[in-house]
Amino acid sequence: MTLSLSLIFLLSSLSPPTDVIARDKPNDSGGAILLTWTRSSDTTVVSYRVLRQTEGKATWDTVGLAGRLANRFTDDEVQDGIRYRYQILTVSETETAESAPSEYTVCSPQWFNFDRMPAVIGTIIFTCLIVFFIGRAKRNIKLFIRRIAGLDAVEEALGRATEMGRGILYVPGLSSIDDVATIASMNILGEVAKKTAKFGTPLIVPLRDPIVYTVAREVVKESYTAAGRADAFNQDMVFYVTDQQFAFAAAVDGIMVREKPATNFFIGMFWAESLILAETGATTGAIQIAGTDAVSQLPFFITACDYTLIGEELYAASAYLSREPLLLGAIKGQDYSKLLILVLIVVSTILALTANLPVQNIF
Amino acid sequence: MGFWNKLLKIDRRWIYTIIWLVVMIPLLFPFKIKPMAMPPVTRLFNYIDTMPEDKALVISVDYTPDIQPELHPMCIALLHHAFATKRKVGLLTLQVMGLGLGEAAIRQVTEEFNAHATTHEDSIINGEDYVYWGWTTPIITILLGMGERITNVYPVDYYGHRTESLPIMKHLKNYDDIGIVVSIAGSSIPISWVNFANTQFGVPIGCGATAVSAADYYPYLNSGQFTGMMAGMKGAAEYEQLVADKFDELGIKWELRRKGTEAMSSQTAAHIAIMIFIIIGNIAYFVTRRRKK
Amino acid sequence: MIVLVLGIFGAVAFVIPHPIVKSIDETMRNDVLRIITAFSLVLGVGSIIQHHLIKIRRKAEHWPFSYIALISLAVSAAIGLFGGIDPASPGILPTHIGGFSFHMQALYDNIMIPLASTMFALLAFFMASAAYRAFRARNLEATLLLIAAFILMLGAVPLGRMLIRPLPDFAEWILTVPNTAAKRGIMFGIGLGSIATSLKIILGIERGWLGGGG
Repeated sequence: MTLSLSLIFLLSSLSPPTDVIARDKPNDSGGAILLTWTRSSDTTVVSYRVLRQTEGKATWDTVGLAGRLANRFTDDEVQDGIRYRYQILTVSETETAESAPSEYTVCSPQWFNFDRMPAVIGTIIFTCLIVFFIGRAKRNIKLFIRRIAGLDAVEEALGRATEMGRGILYVPGLSSIDDVATIASMNILGEVAKKTAKFGTPLIVPLRDPIVYTVAREVVKESYTAAGRADAFNQDMVFYVTDQQFAFAAAVDGIMVREKPATNFFIGMFWAESLILAETGATTGAIQIAGTDAVSQLPFFITACDYTLIGEELYAASAYLSREPLLLGAIKGQDYSKLLILVLIVVSTILALTANLPVQNIF
Repeated sequence: MGFWNKLLKIDRRWIYTIIWLVVMIPLLFPFKIKPMAMPPVTRLFNYIDTMPEDKALVISVDYTPDIQPELHPMCIALLHHAFATKRKVGLLTLQVMGLGLGEAAIRQVTEEFNAHATTHEDSIINGEDYVYWGWTTPIITILLGMGERITNVYPVDYYGHRTESLPIMKHLKNYDDIGIVVSIAGSSIPISWVNFANTQFGVPIGCGATAVSAADYYPYLNSGQFTGMMAGMKGAAEYEQLVADKFDELGIKWELRRKGTEAMSSQTAAHIAIMIFIIIGNIAYFVTRRRKK
Repeated sequence: MIVLVLGIFGAVAFVIPHPIVKSIDETMRNDVLRIITAFSLVLGVGSIIQHHLIKIRRKAEHWPFSYIALISLAVSAAIGLFGGIDPASPGILPTHIGGFSFHMQALYDNIMIPLASTMFALLAFFMASAAYRAFRARNLEATLLLIAAFILMLGAVPLGRMLIRPLPDFAEWILTVPNTAAKRGIMFGIGLGSIATSLKIILGIERGWLGGGG
């Protein structure tokens, strides 16, 4: 009887996890230790509890919990340079079982994040391509860029506004200056402002972000100065409206309905207000040229505007309008990088599709 | 000016008026449409319907008042389904603004059932048939802690009762007693449920999402990490239809207010109106173009 | 030179997780940028005030609305500064009329949110008028777009499944396969364009945004 009871007790005893390994978490700024273990084979396991002991101390502290299907845990409440070891506790409804403790380990910060190596290699290749084509551009080798209808229409739209005696509305998007689309918009604004200075066309630039307001004001002022019409620049051309999304949309709609500009530019980052702006502009009979890298807003601009710059056409705009060789060279570099990615996708797809074929054994 | 020319140049305000009428009238006088459930909704419904009787349904009310019109009908429909099939229900929220919404949902549904109850068994009693745990923080503690012991995570429920003392908690200790967790959210909280509860404890997860977010969740649905999904108001309407069919099957005669389905009649009418506008616009365009030639 | 140094530093901080580099990066992002934003906000508010004062002085068209704009600005600033955030944290001057308290939360809940919701709701009307005006089968691409739009609109409502049973599944296929493929293609281009534009700015090739040519 006693023997069978002992046997039953042994048989029902919970098995702990095994192979508990603690090591410094790689590619981080320190302060974290990564734990891995082999799960308990018991089906009654509910969860695992992670215990930590600091070298020189007798107590074990509970530092976290992991699910019954988990086999790893990151302890990010440790200090660099101090040695710790860990135990994993198997928990069931009625009992617990401790694993053997891991070896002592210490965490430290790394100087390089190897997880990001592919991004680094990609950026280096990309940069080399751009530098190569900029070099070609500097040697006056003619570089071809396909026609972009929206950018060809800029000159025509500005001329139309001048003939009608009405102004140009330029909305540089609703994002902040750290958004690349906003910077691209500022470049185009500079080119547009040079033309409005030359033709004497009124320019209206409402803004949502105060930093973008300060940048836009300087861009327009410098463009007017470069065009030799510094006297024509008016501080009031470029103004801050509000940072609330729909309040800004309402304000711009009001400007469009009251001032009735002949041409509207919507160049930059937009969100849900894109159709509100574009459709209101369409009701006033203005020519509308839009450009955004917000993929979700492109359908609205394509529907409501006369011309739309899609995605990277926006970034190519400053090179296209100014025709500066250095900028054109950068565009070529960009295009060849895309070609390289395209080739890699095709090759990877073929390899994935033929994964189970004997020919793959060659590799 | 010919008729088709006039139609091409019609004042936009007529279009706005028609859209306004087309959206408003079905809201005031909804017409009966019978949504036919898509596979993701059917999978979720069938899973809950065929869960073992001792397993509870847990609903995570993770949405905010601004997306309430789209997601609240999902929560109501799930509660109707659970109580009609005599399942135990646990409610919680990982989003503090969902607290009032969860309470409103459970209060509405329990009042409906209790208004038609004739016996104690038919009644829905707090602490016996459902528990509302409320909100606490941080999220990771809840998602992992519920795997061990729910009463440790929520020692007190939303109404201030000690959870250890509630009869329902005797049969709702941790994820082992939960058949499925359905997270209804406008954010990426359902993915947190997958990352912690499903990956580490194996508990099935269902999802209720806005139409806009649903597109991002299809990979999880296809991989089986979501057992089922209701997407947008249409998903809510489909689940309501399945629940209504279940009510008929169980012989429950009283009418359910189906807000998702009512809103679908508005949405259907608006879509049809826009399609008619497009057809008329194209006819007018081709007729006038031919005349010019 | 400043752009070059800070640009390279930002790229370096991406691959070096060490706390020495991270802390400088975080100081730049969290502290320096916030200080710049706070000062530029002052300039922005100054711009609104100047813009409307000029309109009032010149009695430009619709100048009375400029008074409304300036008065609204002053009143909400006063409530924000002196009226408190919400009933739990009252301000110096309790502002209320009858039982209604004028604190920032009340302004936000009762004015901002309804107005924003109204503007958002306009999208329904604008979509209808844009669809009527612009969805013409002018050429092959426009016709394909039109057909896809019809399929998706019908697929999104119960009527679609009632008319043609596989229609919602086909609509979902359009969204998840060709639409996603096109989106990913555009996003590849956008990603590369962003890197190129950033490189041009860091290396000083593109200076248009500085207002100094380029």
